[in-house]
Amino acid sequence: MGLVEQDSNNWNLVYAENDGVMIVSFILNEQPTRVDVDPSRPLLDVLRDDLGLTGTKQGCDHEGECGACTVLLDGMAVRSCLTPVGKVAGRRVVTIEGLGEPDALHPLQQAFIELGAVQCGYCTPGMLLAAKALLDRDPHPTQERIREALAGNLCRCTGYRRIVEAVDVAAARMRGERKRPAPEDGLEGYGKPVIGGDAVRADSVDKVTGRARFVEDLKMPQMAHVRVVRSPHHHARLVALDTARAERLEGVICVLTAADIPGENGLGDYSRDEPVLTPIGETVRMRGAPVTLVVATSPERAQAGAEAVEAVYEPLPHVFEVEEALAEDAYPIYEGGNVLVSEGEAHGDLDAAFDGSDVTLETTYRTTWQEHAALEREALLGTFDEADRLTVVGGTHEPHWQQGYIAAALALDPEQVRVIMPPTGGSFGGKQDPWPFVATALAAFHARRPVRLAYSRGESFQASPKRHPYRVRYRVGARADGRLTGVRVRVDANTGGYDGHGQYIANYALTASGGPYRYQAVDAAAQSVYTNGPKAGQFRGFGTPQSIFALECTLDELAQQLGEDPLELRLKNAIHQSSISFLGYPVAESLGYREVLEAIRPRYRDFLEEAAGFNAASEARWLRKGIGFSGMWYRFGKSGSLRVEAHAGLREDGHFVVYCSAPDYGQGANTTMAQMAAETLGVPRDRVEVVNADTGHTPDSGIQGASRATYFVGGAVCRAAQRLRQEILATAAEMLDCPPSDLALHADRVAIPRPTGLSSVSLADVAAEFNRIGKSRRVPGVFDLSPLFPEESRPEYVPLFVTGAQVAEVIVDVRTGQVEVPRMAAAHDVGRAINPIDARGQIEGAVVMGMGTALMEEYIPGASAGLGDYYMPTAMSMPDIEVTLVEVPSFEGPFGAKGLGEAAIVPSAPAIINAVSRAIGTRIRSLPATPERVLARLAEDD
Amino acid sequence: MATDYRYPGSVEEAIECLEAGEGAAWVIAGGTDVLPDIRKGAIAPQCLVDVTRIPELRRIEIGEDLVTVGATVTFAVIRGHPFLTEHVHALVEAARSVGAGPIQNVATWVGNIVQGMPAADGAVVAIALDAEACIVDRDGARWQAVESLFAGPGVSTVDPTRQIVTAIRFPRPDARTGTAWRRVGRRSALVLPILNCAVRVELAGEGDAGPGAGVEDGRIADVAIALGPVAPVPFRARKAEGFLRGRAPRREILEQGAQIARDEANPRTSAMRASRGYRLEVLPVLVTDALATAVGRGGGPSPQPSPSGERGTRGSLLRRGQVEQND
Repeated sequence: MGLVEQDSNNWNLVYAENDGVMIVSFILNEQPTRVDVDPSRPLLDVLRDDLGLTGTKQGCDHEGECGACTVLLDGMAVRSCLTPVGKVAGRRVVTIEGLGEPDALHPLQQAFIELGAVQCGYCTPGMLLAAKALLDRDPHPTQERIREALAGNLCRCTGYRRIVEAVDVAAARMRGERKRPAPEDGLEGYGKPVIGGDAVRADSVDKVTGRARFVEDLKMPQMAHVRVVRSPHHHARLVALDTARAERLEGVICVLTAADIPGENGLGDYSRDEPVLTPIGETVRMRGAPVTLVVATSPERAQAGAEAVEAVYEPLPHVFEVEEALAEDAYPIYEGGNVLVSEGEAHGDLDAAFDGSDVTLETTYRTTWQEHAALEREALLGTFDEADRLTVVGGTHEPHWQQGYIAAALALDPEQVRVIMPPTGGSFGGKQDPWPFVATALAAFHARRPVRLAYSRGESFQASPKRHPYRVRYRVGARADGRLTGVRVRVDANTGGYDGHGQYIANYALTASGGPYRYQAVDAAAQSVYTNGPKAGQFRGFGTPQSIFALECTLDELAQQLGEDPLELRLKNAIHQSSISFLGYPVAESLGYREVLEAIRPRYRDFLEEAAGFNAASEARWLRKGIGFSGMWYRFGKSGSLRVEAHAGLREDGHFVVYCSAPDYGQGANTTMAQMAAETLGVPRDRVEVVNADTGHTPDSGIQGASRATYFVGGAVCRAAQRLRQEILATAAEMLDCPPSDLALHADRVAIPRPTGLSSVSLADVAAEFNRIGKSRRVPGVFDLSPLFPEESRPEYVPLFVTGAQVAEVIVDVRTGQVEVPRMAAAHDVGRAINPIDARGQIEGAVVMGMGTALMEEYIPGASAGLGDYYMPTAMSMPDIEVTLVEVPSFEGPFGAKGLGEAAIVPSAPAIINAVSRAIGTRIRSLPATPERVLARLAEDD
Repeated sequence: MATDYRYPGSVEEAIECLEAGEGAAWVIAGGTDVLPDIRKGAIAPQCLVDVTRIPELRRIEIGEDLVTVGATVTFAVIRGHPFLTEHVHALVEAARSVGAGPIQNVATWVGNIVQGMPAADGAVVAIALDAEACIVDRDGARWQAVESLFAGPGVSTVDPTRQIVTAIRFPRPDARTGTAWRRVGRRSALVLPILNCAVRVELAGEGDAGPGAGVEDGRIADVAIALGPVAPVPFRARKAEGFLRGRAPRREILEQGAQIARDEANPRTSAMRASRGYRLEVLPVLVTDALATAVGRGGGPSPQPSPSGERGTRGSLLRRGQVEQND
């Protein structure tokens, strides 16, 4: 048997050899452990697959680029994906499962939960272990040391600030100090009532202990694996396809082509021109377009099968840029031409407006493809539930829509299909793509057994939707006093090879391009243009950030020309709630833009003053500080019905259950829904359970996109909870023989406020009474805005807007073009912060993601392959972020809340770019502002 | 196909394991490059010979004339070593640039060199230090200049199926020798460099033998400028070094030297990192900064606010703009 012996300095490993498989013995989470393995296999795979410890995550195709697989080896943080298991023989390994138990959490786990350092939870185990290695070695780390220790662990949700803060707090507690989190951590609400109060996330304990089961952590008996054969060409005709060789391979269960799709070979109204699998004779319009699915008994066999599929292509000319696609002699990517859709809006006399201007300015701004790069790749499980329904488990924004797409493709009744949302490691819009759902369902349907489809990171880069690159051209006019006169804007949005919701992007591009400002005259047009770039789709802010980037940078240029303060210029032109907006009609919700501008002004002034001092005093004259400002508006809530349903139920044990479809991929919807229900019912939050996003159990609450969960679904949850409360009080009143108005609902009972021995009844008893009299313990609630917007006068998109503003401080090294962002300030009108920790966390995460947009992130078609060459911010590049929550209550939303998650990313990139432009004295007009681009602009300007 | 995994207790045993493998056994230390190579199918070892438990390879020896770093010394150990931290700044700063902490915890200096990449941080700093590698195979052991171990991008002359590099050694810097490290990347951590640069400057002083003999006090007696990736292999800017030798380390002289280094460099355009043009443009900035810092550390005049060589963390631009107190 295998043994590890250590005699003083000399190690000797003795293996029992058996067909090259060896026994490796080590100490795993304090337990002596032996595994029979190929010792060159990565420790990560052995932990997950052989030992069932799935808390350790894989995010980068075992390239060591993400840190999600971090474990401790003899106390040191190491990448388990780069560690051959043979290397751990005789040593001590600690995984997240060994850090702490739910009832005995490690101080780090406790602090991560309290400070809101956990969002999607996918990076969390690796972060915690990297932090533990640091604190074991250095109990007094500075913030700088913490950031460096965590720099190898990518997080896409939090913006790192809360993670660094949590490590700091945990370190203090481990030293025996009593450390209260700083007020800006958003914890001032501890001890307050449910809304706006102590809102520790319900699912955080599972995420910090490695117990949360993401899709790849689920195993099913007889589970098969799916690999996708994809086009290697950016544009080509599929001439022939031979699957015979692949079908004969051992372990291959089936090979599926377009001919195997029993229903519609498409993705419904999500992407009207995109086949599930390209048929022979048709065209693939991007690299990575799927052609064939191979289902086999193991991932390796599926891969071998995919490699054995022979596809013959006739390559066609390809283009990536909208200019090329719009050229007169451009090759038509579709028969109808290369424009998918156009939108326009014009009002007022533009010529007169420009004639009456003291200054007019023309600009062209460009953005590029951005990859969501959620830490969890696309991963889905297809199976059959207890009712033999074809069931797909996977991260999505709209389970009921997926149910519909699957049913249409498989020619099934929707009732025969079920979609369940598991814990999901981030989305940011990327997991809105229905393709993986339909493909998984198709594979399970034909294989008649459970299947898993898991993208590699490289595949996710190639085939998942991206943010649409824009070209935005402005002409704006203003009077000498800073009042805007007219605006002419043209937006070309690059939708890539397929629609993928590009049909809607033009309207968002156009709407965003005006901002929350007043104009005498408007002429705006936007179009979605096909190219052979990757299909673009939803990405945090859907079409808005690119237009706002161009607008807010153009306004900054205008302010500079006029000699106006950028913030005051915005304030001078800011619309009120009742003003006629850029769209030609007023907005429909309360608008807090002026309040936002007032709120951020003091911070902006401080930043400006400090920068001026720095630039005057700096010995290093090549370092220039710049301060940039940006405002924004974001249209939230559209992309689904104006009527939304949710249910509230009373369980037999007297606890409450909310049923809704507001998928939580890390942003915290589960917690928010529980809070709102608890507040409405008047009970503590831990009495409320949320059943979310399972078409087998929850009503269709519409798509979770456009930041609509809190406002729309929350509204429905509150109405359901309100109705349930009334039903409970009515029944309890009968039971207690008193009027309902005399009763109060408590955590576990209904009581008459001045209790005597007979004056209360438990909720369990009330539930039993419901059963006895045949009253349903589950009641629906409906949030419906349609009466407010009569159909005959309703705009295509209901004008619900949120606003915000951010200020960036940058330092530019004008010799190398390197940019750092030491500080940012953000003020956002959230209406009402239901969960202040999460609201702040959303803003911080968005700011850092927006910093990536501004300075680093750039997907290059055909070249970008994974996390090793796609640069997202690390903890080292994180700025200090000062967040101000402005609360101008909404008219219709629950408790006055509005949408937030997407809006917060919108002003980050323009604020940073305006800061860079002011620091270097010349304008950056393309994203991202890489060191090379910054230097090139400086050189052009010389 | 399963793999054998061996922990030889000595270098001799390790060589025996390789011999027995007949070309299919592979040396592994940290494994951070070997595992991805296996995954990609670039190599298919039948046996991994793990040298990390050979005690003699873990040592760092500070001799009177030479510093010797064993083959399994990790970048994390280098970063934490008191003598290296105080006297061989460029090496410690380069070690800090490699990947991120969890990589540095296991990745070794030797492994970084034998991977053969032209911009490997460890390789670039090694050639600036005039380091030599001890190469052991069945024919015995010999010391060979690290610079001679590169045969092209990603190609090392060291054969990991036959040979083991047991140590790196380099001349112990004296009080008049300063070293410095500079690096530009697309972000401040976990990233390959757009450009990296290590320099070593020895200032002439009383009673010098060797390179300083006959050079006026305070002038540059010897200098090394190493750069990556500006050639298929880690690159020494010898023309620039020749120009600087014997001259006074004044700012404009250092700038002229840096321009010469630029002229002899031949970087490529990389779609994912930077163009040739950009690399050429920032190269003189890095070289001048590094030279100035090294001169200051060698006890010479600090010709400019002397930057720290830390890799860019947030605020590092700022720190680099300030005069350092403790170099």
